[in-house]
Amino acid sequence: MLEYKISKSVILPSTLLKGIFVCFLLLAGVACKKEKTYVYGVNDVTVKQEGANKPSVKTTTEFISIAYADIFGTTISANDLTQLSLLYSAFGDKKLMENLIIKNFLNAPGTQIPSKAQMLQNTEQFLKETYTKFLNRTPNEFELYGTKNIIQADTTISPELIYYGMLTSNEYRHY
Amino acid sequence: MNTTRRGFIKRAGLATAGALTFPYILPSGRLFASTGIRKADHVVFCLFAGGVRNLETLQKAEGNLMTYTLPGTEAISSDILAGMDPLPAATGIPLQLQGSLFKDFRYKSGPTGHFNGHTTAITGVYTNTDLDIKTNPEHPTIFEYYRKHNSPSQTALNTWWVSNSLGPYPALNFSKDANYGAIYGGNHIQPASIISLGGYNALGNPKVFTNTQVTAAKSMRTFLDNNFANQTKAADAGVTNAESEAAQIEGFIQQSFNEAVAGLYNDPWNLGTAMNNDMYNIFFAEKIIQRFKPELLVVNMQDVDIAHSNFTQYCNNMRKADYALSHLWNTIQSTPGMANNTVLIVAPEHGRNLTHNSLVDSYGRYALDHTNDPTSREIFCLILGPTGKVKQNTVFTNPQGLGESIDIVPTIADVLGFYSDIPLSYRNKMGNPLTQAFI
Repeated sequence: MLEYKISKSVILPSTLLKGIFVCFLLLAGVACKKEKTYVYGVNDVTVKQEGANKPSVKTTTEFISIAYADIFGTTISANDLTQLSLLYSAFGDKKLMENLIIKNFLNAPGTQIPSKAQMLQNTEQFLKETYTKFLNRTPNEFELYGTKNIIQADTTISPELIYYGMLTSNEYRHY
Repeated sequence: MNTTRRGFIKRAGLATAGALTFPYILPSGRLFASTGIRKADHVVFCLFAGGVRNLETLQKAEGNLMTYTLPGTEAISSDILAGMDPLPAATGIPLQLQGSLFKDFRYKSGPTGHFNGHTTAITGVYTNTDLDIKTNPEHPTIFEYYRKHNSPSQTALNTWWVSNSLGPYPALNFSKDANYGAIYGGNHIQPASIISLGGYNALGNPKVFTNTQVTAAKSMRTFLDNNFANQTKAADAGVTNAESEAAQIEGFIQQSFNEAVAGLYNDPWNLGTAMNNDMYNIFFAEKIIQRFKPELLVVNMQDVDIAHSNFTQYCNNMRKADYALSHLWNTIQSTPGMANNTVLIVAPEHGRNLTHNSLVDSYGRYALDHTNDPTSREIFCLILGPTGKVKQNTVFTNPQGLGESIDIVPTIADVLGFYSDIPLSYRNKMGNPLTQAFI
């Protein structure tokens, strides 16, 4: 009895170990199975923060002349550029001065701004053109999604306001 | 001291709760205090007025050209009298009697140039010959010291630099110092350019957006800014006002345009053709004082610099600067919140040479330059302020000089109560507060 017990006690762990090993192999087989990739409705897109390619700040004259060209579709006169540069240097808060300059541009005759109907008719196209015009690049998927949402969520928003927002953004100040 | 962990936590908790619950509210309404005690809640510093000699100011070599500031009825030299524009006769108490006058003030070191003089007065540190006029000064300005060390910290709306010309002067509202810079800078404005016909034509007719439209445009801008990694750095944008304060400033500029268009700026002091650029600069500084009641405002005048070519007009413009200074003080004293709570400091950036140059004006007088001779370093400093705070009718004299240009910044810091909060490494570069002028 005692002997049996002893032999059993020796044999039993060995059997158990074998069983565990088999189970491990089975489990390992399941675990090593290649994972399936599921795509739910949309394709993957690469989203990165813009800015790495625009490290430089526009000079005063660059900012004014580029903004003028973007809004009016023509070159600013030398006299106007000189006058605005002078005013720009006469106030310490450059952002404030840029804001004032842009708001005066937007209120002047001759601006080239699409109508609201044009914007709503094909918002994606409008946004792509606006990004290209002001920021010299096409919007990524996230930007397109986000800006489209802004336009669609607010019935009062106009192309002029989109332009105003873009012209006073940090990215517009850079190249 | 023996203590237990429980006891320590209890005491620390009570101390924290006390600090949060019972912040010290000063009588002036300020929450918490700087280390020092304020002598007044506002300081206006006037750089007077483009290089003047003590010979023509305090010593009255051509008669009393500053009847609003200096007591005395000495007649103006008869040979130049015809070159003086009519100004209202001075009435009331001369400014000198309302404060302390340092007669032997000195601009002791550095070139006697306008920008060097301004930089020294605004930074409290003498400049050297290598001063770069195209960039911001090397040492922090009084605006930065104020905004960084005053407690509670204040926005740029509370501190203004009103210059009467452009050139290098706009750069004096903040320095290149890595510990300070644009984020602590003051608002700079040069009114002569902005509030002008050209300024109005370019900036006077902005698109007016409703609040809803502003919010909509802001949502677009915020979205863009959040997706742009390379944010505008402080120095790129100059001094930045918070959105609500920028709107206040825009409103102020717009109102100024409207008033100018309505003809209110044509001859605001009823002086006829006598109104010059210095007077307009002071006039606009007064508008800022009335609108924003800033705690710190620096304004300059420079029209006496015509002395390089016309001595008689130098004297004439000195009279106008004197009138403008008196007008400024009257405005301060009639502005609620600033009246009897403002210290006005007046000092020229430098003097002029003892020896004249070769140019002669139509009255036969030789012109004056400023090229580092001892006379061009002799200036004065007048400190006006509330009775009980500033010594009235007091004159300080000392042949070796008492007080220097580099003492003005520490004096302003001392008046506003944050002088001892400025790190010693910076204080060591400056002069000392002119405590003699205060009670």
